[in-house]
Amino acid sequence: MLRELGCDPPSLKNDIVRHIRLSLGKRPRDCSERDYYLALSYALRDRMLERMLETEDRYTTADAKRLYYLSMEFLIGRSLGNNMINLELFDACKEALTALGVDLEEVREQEVDAGLGNGGLGRLAACFIDSLASLHMPGFGYGIHYEFGLFKQIFDNGWQKEKPDHWLDEWTPLELPRPDQACYIPVYGRVEDFTDHTGRSHPMWLDWNIIVGVPYDIPIVGYAGQTVNYLRLFAARPSTEFDISIFNTGDYFRALEQKIESEKISKILYPSDTFREGKELRLLQEYFLVACSLRDIVRRYLTSHNDFSEFPSKVAIQLNDTHPALAVAELMRILVDEYALNWNKAFELTRKTLAYTNHTLLPEALETWPVDLLEHILPRHMQIIYDINAFFLLEVEKKWPGNPHRKSRMSLIQETPDRMVRMAHLAIVGSHATNGVSVLHTELLKSSVVSDFNDLWPERFSSKTNGITQRRWLLKSNPQLADLITQAVGPKWITDLERLHELEPLSNDTGFQDAFWEIKRKNKQRLCALISETAWVETIPDALFDIQAKRIHEYKRQLLFLMAIVYEYLQLIEDDICPPFAKTYVFAGKAAPGYTVAKRLIKLINTVGQTINTDPRTKGMIKLVFVPDYRVSVAEKIIPAADVSEQISTAGKEASGTGNMKFALNGALTLGTLDGANIEIQEEVGKDNIFIFGLTSSEIAEYQRTGTYNPHIVYENDDKLRRVLNALSSDRFCPHDPGLFNWLIPYLMDSNDQYFHLADFAAYIQTREQIAQAYSQTRDWTRKAILNIARIGRFSSDRTIQEYAREIWDLHPVQPRV
Amino acid sequence: MENVQGGQKGVYCVNVEFVEHNGVLVAFVLADQIDASSAGSFRDNILGKIENGYKRIVLDLTKVDFIDSSGLGAIISALKRLGEDGDLAICGVNEPVMSLFRLTRMNRIFNIFDTQEEAVAALGTKGS
Repeated sequence: MLRELGCDPPSLKNDIVRHIRLSLGKRPRDCSERDYYLALSYALRDRMLERMLETEDRYTTADAKRLYYLSMEFLIGRSLGNNMINLELFDACKEALTALGVDLEEVREQEVDAGLGNGGLGRLAACFIDSLASLHMPGFGYGIHYEFGLFKQIFDNGWQKEKPDHWLDEWTPLELPRPDQACYIPVYGRVEDFTDHTGRSHPMWLDWNIIVGVPYDIPIVGYAGQTVNYLRLFAARPSTEFDISIFNTGDYFRALEQKIESEKISKILYPSDTFREGKELRLLQEYFLVACSLRDIVRRYLTSHNDFSEFPSKVAIQLNDTHPALAVAELMRILVDEYALNWNKAFELTRKTLAYTNHTLLPEALETWPVDLLEHILPRHMQIIYDINAFFLLEVEKKWPGNPHRKSRMSLIQETPDRMVRMAHLAIVGSHATNGVSVLHTELLKSSVVSDFNDLWPERFSSKTNGITQRRWLLKSNPQLADLITQAVGPKWITDLERLHELEPLSNDTGFQDAFWEIKRKNKQRLCALISETAWVETIPDALFDIQAKRIHEYKRQLLFLMAIVYEYLQLIEDDICPPFAKTYVFAGKAAPGYTVAKRLIKLINTVGQTINTDPRTKGMIKLVFVPDYRVSVAEKIIPAADVSEQISTAGKEASGTGNMKFALNGALTLGTLDGANIEIQEEVGKDNIFIFGLTSSEIAEYQRTGTYNPHIVYENDDKLRRVLNALSSDRFCPHDPGLFNWLIPYLMDSNDQYFHLADFAAYIQTREQIAQAYSQTRDWTRKAILNIARIGRFSSDRTIQEYAREIWDLHPVQPRV
Repeated sequence: MENVQGGQKGVYCVNVEFVEHNGVLVAFVLADQIDASSAGSFRDNILGKIENGYKRIVLDLTKVDFIDSSGLGAIISALKRLGEDGDLAICGVNEPVMSLFRLTRMNRIFNIFDTQEEAVAALGTKGS
């Protein structure tokens, strides 16, 4: 069949035309770029689906163990380009479209991002499913088919405003609805004990409302196109279109109420990053994901197995953060209530099947749910959680007899001040493995947040440092650099990123350096065009591009970056200290809609930027830009252009980071703290090729423990710092809006500068001066940049997935037939 | 054979066909769903038969694609009304409906058979 479909340009051209006529009902001469985008997508989909079916046959024949990656977020971005590259059809498609008089790049611009995620957690999930397919592993993403993805960010007088992101209008060609595999998901109701003929008691879950979960499959193509897995997203539908009896009375809107109520479960992605929402709808979403996924997984397993004895050897389920932690209770409910397994056996199977990844230590992000709410929505699950807890506390008692404080700390239920279910505890107790996402994060996890569990089960904890897919983040988004690398060391780095080490000798090669530099400049030109188009600021490609692109959050310290920029601005216009080269400072990222401080920071950045960019005294030597609506497709343009990558979180707060890896892979030098994966990046690239500053996590912990950090003293003793903060909080940048930023200093002082902006400022600006000197030595800078690329191989998500597969999932590739 | 419809005006009714085989009453549900709008009348129909003295009932759900918690509640009401000396079997349950039975553990309380013949035979052998 694949040979019949053909992968040469004429075959692709014919298929594109066929889809124009038979899928769109148009003639080529009447087609817009969007029509060509659709037709091309359909033509590629034909090929992907053939391979997806073959892949499924291969897995079935091998009775392969399957991995199901449960995540509330999959930040996929655009797929057309990625699919063309992974199918190795990019050039053929380009040629096919050229033969039709159409430009591929303009066609690609028609695609909108699938923004089904907030930031790092969602993008990690997307990188992982790419790696699973590229490694020929039977791994599938399971998520929610949100109708509205992460909001679109616009700036209105410098303030962030949110617009809805109805991505589905533009995205239809790549997904396959599977209504025949819909499942019924009950919520609410009550539990009633019923005694059968034998006198045995059965807790029956009654009076629930039914939501129907309809799967949609998106093919996920591995590199070289031989393995195509899928991402299965569940959409919520009502069990009946509407209540006919109410409709018959003429009350159309009331009749639709239930339809609307049901569908809202998959309507919108909650836009909070590292902050729990605590909303009932969010809990419904989490259960909906878990229930649909487990129903699907169990159904598939039982098509080829008669009982559950082999379940853990055929099924691995990874919980991406605690959002799907209800899988513990749901799997127990299925095994015990539906299939009558005894409790102990069911729990053994559940534990062996599930594994949990922790992504944060921030207290505000650790999920808990009120017991009352869980009882109301999932009465049977709450009973199961109580039972799990009872057995678990017996285990704790056995290990530490007569230690009620330990039991209270470890219990799945927090009793005071409010009764809450601790989802991280549920996930740890109900799984066989818990991992952090960098070495530092895992150490902090084991020593602080879940130290009791580490004491009880040290063998369950491990580190799996995050990674990124080089196929999207270099091959796709920086094709010229990818070509340069391939010409130098061959193409094997595309599936084995450690091969980049072969570039090391070229770091001193002037010809290679010149080629790298030229590519970097072209990428900057592309970014300048984007900035001009979206932020209406003119920038030059010969500037140093110093970039911080990530979600806006206090712990990531966009404020610190801004403080340094203002410092350099004041030096320029008041001290006449002119930088040796032009600098462009770039911010990008979204703030959660309810996160007031983050939104104020955005306004502050934009306002300072407005001042700097229109101040003739800068002579254009510095520019400050905030690129709006940061998303995957924008990241693909920003990251390749960077010279300096800002990774300046308060040490101990960023679990890993993945932007740090993407920037380094594209030849930016990191300016960062010893936090998350920055530490491991330093170890790989070498201390001479990265710029590290600031307090370590231990030092910060010590300050916090002793209470000896006083930002007032730092403020009083540091002239440079005081000058910057006074300037920012004055009316200097907001003369037409007096007092707009006078919240800044009280904000820092009242919270005792909990993120240590003031403490790290001096070291930060000193390190930035080192960067300026280093950048002036162009050859040496380029050498360092190339060494970053050469030594970043460990941070491929291929490596991460192989570690998970070997150490947690016992998952093996099923190689395609040669 | 008795085809029962009826109930309150404006209330959707579940069409049920009753047939007696060797002392076993077979209730063949002709509607494709038993939900909140129809469960009440459905329950009343079955309970009415129990009141009339039928103690062994087979509920044939072959045509039913969907049953919500009200529908399941109606079936449980019937079982409770039959009491210790009665029996209720179910047959012709398709997979989506079966998943709901498993959810409520009804699969362990009721005897569920693939076909009407098997169900009638099973209740028939228990004596009249």
